[in-house]
Amino acid sequence: MTAILAALFAAGSISAQDQSAVSISREVRDVFERSAKAVVRIHGVDEHSDIYGTGFFVDPTGTLYTSYTVGGEADSFSIQFGGKEYPARQVVADVRSGIAILKSDLVTPTLPIGTSQGLEVATPVVTIGYPLDLGKTPSFGLIAGFDRKYLGRYFSTTHLRVNLPTQRGEAGAPLLNLKGEVVGILVSSLENNSSCYALPIDAAEKIRNDFVRFGEVRHGWIGANVAEAKNAEEGSRAQITEVLATTPATESGLRPGDILVQVGTVKVHEPEDVLDASFFITAGDVVPITVVRNGAKCTFKIQAELHPASKNIPMLSDGTQLPAEATLQKNRAIPLTLDADVPRTP
Amino acid sequence: MDEFNDNEIAKLLRLKRYEQPRSGYFENFLHEFHRRQRDELLREPIWRICWERAHDFLFRLNVPSLTSYPAAVAAVLICAAVISLKIHQQPSAVNVAAENPPVISASLHPEGEWTLASPVATRVFTTQPLRQFHRSAQTHVSDSFRRTPPRYVLDSVPVSYESNFRF
Amino acid sequence: MNAVLALAPRRVSDLLSSGLQTRVKSSRDSMDKPRTDEDQPLVARAQAGDATAFDELVIKYSPRLYGLVYNMTSNHEDTNDLLQDIFAKAYKAIRGFRGKSTFYTWIHSIAVNMTLNFLKKRGRRYHLSLDDIDSSIQNDQEFLDVTQTSSPVREADLSELQKRLNEAMMKLSDDHRAVVTMFHIQGMPHAEISKILHVSEGTVRSRLFYANRQLQNYLEEFRKNPVS
Repeated sequence: MTAILAALFAAGSISAQDQSAVSISREVRDVFERSAKAVVRIHGVDEHSDIYGTGFFVDPTGTLYTSYTVGGEADSFSIQFGGKEYPARQVVADVRSGIAILKSDLVTPTLPIGTSQGLEVATPVVTIGYPLDLGKTPSFGLIAGFDRKYLGRYFSTTHLRVNLPTQRGEAGAPLLNLKGEVVGILVSSLENNSSCYALPIDAAEKIRNDFVRFGEVRHGWIGANVAEAKNAEEGSRAQITEVLATTPATESGLRPGDILVQVGTVKVHEPEDVLDASFFITAGDVVPITVVRNGAKCTFKIQAELHPASKNIPMLSDGTQLPAEATLQKNRAIPLTLDADVPRTP
Repeated sequence: MDEFNDNEIAKLLRLKRYEQPRSGYFENFLHEFHRRQRDELLREPIWRICWERAHDFLFRLNVPSLTSYPAAVAAVLICAAVISLKIHQQPSAVNVAAENPPVISASLHPEGEWTLASPVATRVFTTQPLRQFHRSAQTHVSDSFRRTPPRYVLDSVPVSYESNFRF
Repeated sequence: MNAVLALAPRRVSDLLSSGLQTRVKSSRDSMDKPRTDEDQPLVARAQAGDATAFDELVIKYSPRLYGLVYNMTSNHEDTNDLLQDIFAKAYKAIRGFRGKSTFYTWIHSIAVNMTLNFLKKRGRRYHLSLDDIDSSIQNDQEFLDVTQTSSPVREADLSELQKRLNEAMMKLSDDHRAVVTMFHIQGMPHAEISKILHVSEGTVRSRLFYANRQLQNYLEEFRKNPVS
């Protein structure tokens, strides 16, 4: 009797597992079928080589997200969509976030944008990409972690580490939740190719929103260096070590030695938290910055200016940047008039 | 003044000095120069690399007679023998030059030296931008002209990193 | 395209930063005078196989040679390719450099000759691909002089002026454009130009004279047909 019950029980469990497997497979297939048409292969051409990667449409007028490694540096681009090849042009290429936005003038299907906020370790996710020279391919896996650094080097913002197999050619692929919403963009693989990194979609949308609002990416910059404090105060070990010259921080009231507890809406507990806080600042924003000094909290409202990354000023590896004379501004048409003074450098 | 005179022409021309490439151009120039040198080095046939190394070596010995053809041929043969021993022991940089496809990062000595089992191996390049050095997507050697086979992209490092905590 | 955010070799950046600071400033002085060979130590090291020495020569000469080639071609992309080829050639040929002239003269010769060959192959068709004008031009005294005293220039948009000036340059023959570039833009003395081109100083002067006349004529058309 017991044996029969056990056998029946076992049979029931297997069938429940089968059901989950079938159900996951069906969900993944649904996501793939709904989303695949908005995913395209991107072909970039420069004078030395052809590169291939993946991208996906995010609006009905042909705006595409891809990774910087695909869409950042070639001289010309085309996309393979609906069995045909169409030209595309680069609209944004942002090294700091690692993504690029291209535009083709087509009426296109789109992927709905989700949010990376609700993601947790083990959240199931799907990608759709163009591995090598093969056709559109889904891959399924799980969020494995939220990393700030890789091989000892810090990302510009927290990245999603995802356990799913990836192949060359899939940079720029969308990372989708099981509702089919985009939660990330594939940017790099880990060395074993069975995991990868994705930029959270919230970070990508910051870049795209900047472009929509200003026509360019505006990384914000306050101008303070941060390191670990000897003692924590108000739950934070992040200490301002240097207030850089000729930055918004210079005359702001911030001082070396201040313990940082909040930047904008981001609470700071350790120096690493500053990476995300910094990434989401837009130049021109007035950012409230709260520090603890001599046991007391004070808040400074500082207007961010353009981050050196946006100005393309090369930085030395210790974080200092080349002097201001090295900044070359784009020529604007300067009307020359009879009596007026020559206009000052904007 | 109704006309341009010599002086004005000269002034206008001098203003052309303000036409400058975009910021970052010259920094990138050296990286690009190294990249092209590596490309060319990978395309150079091994016998030629050997010949040039041997010729340099003899030249440096400062004995004119040794820079003659027979001496150079002998040096090439010795060089080739040493290299083939190295290939046998450890498939490394030499294989990359001899066969396709190379993986540039795997073939480089960590400091960026290109060693060819030759007494006069020359450091071809010194600096490595992070992305190119660790690139896992293979960069193939062109067997004919400058166009290389297509590259399917998925790098194994991000394009940029933050070198310290700042905001 | 874009540089990575952090330059790995600090020393290269240091060299570049000093180069950058003087790059535009030098355009106001006539700084391109040949020197007794101050490059000799670097050249010797490069000839011995030290690639970092050659790198330093690249860093030192790339802005100058860029200016030379760009003003002869008025095309940024061609300039970039040519400049790479020039240094590649110099790298291969440096062991054969015997020091009969300064390194400065030698590498300028290579640059001018390669550019002239390129222009000859390209023929009369040209395509302007102009670099932007550095905003520090507004602090240049000569710029102020020219814009305040000369009426055709006064009313023009700066980028239109740039275009016309480049078009006028492209109307010159390649040889004339070469001397104009070297003398007026790069600030090289007649003697140096004659060494580089292997012509007499008299020839250099007469080419300059002729080219100036031509440029005056071309720019007169600009005065007669100013941009509204």
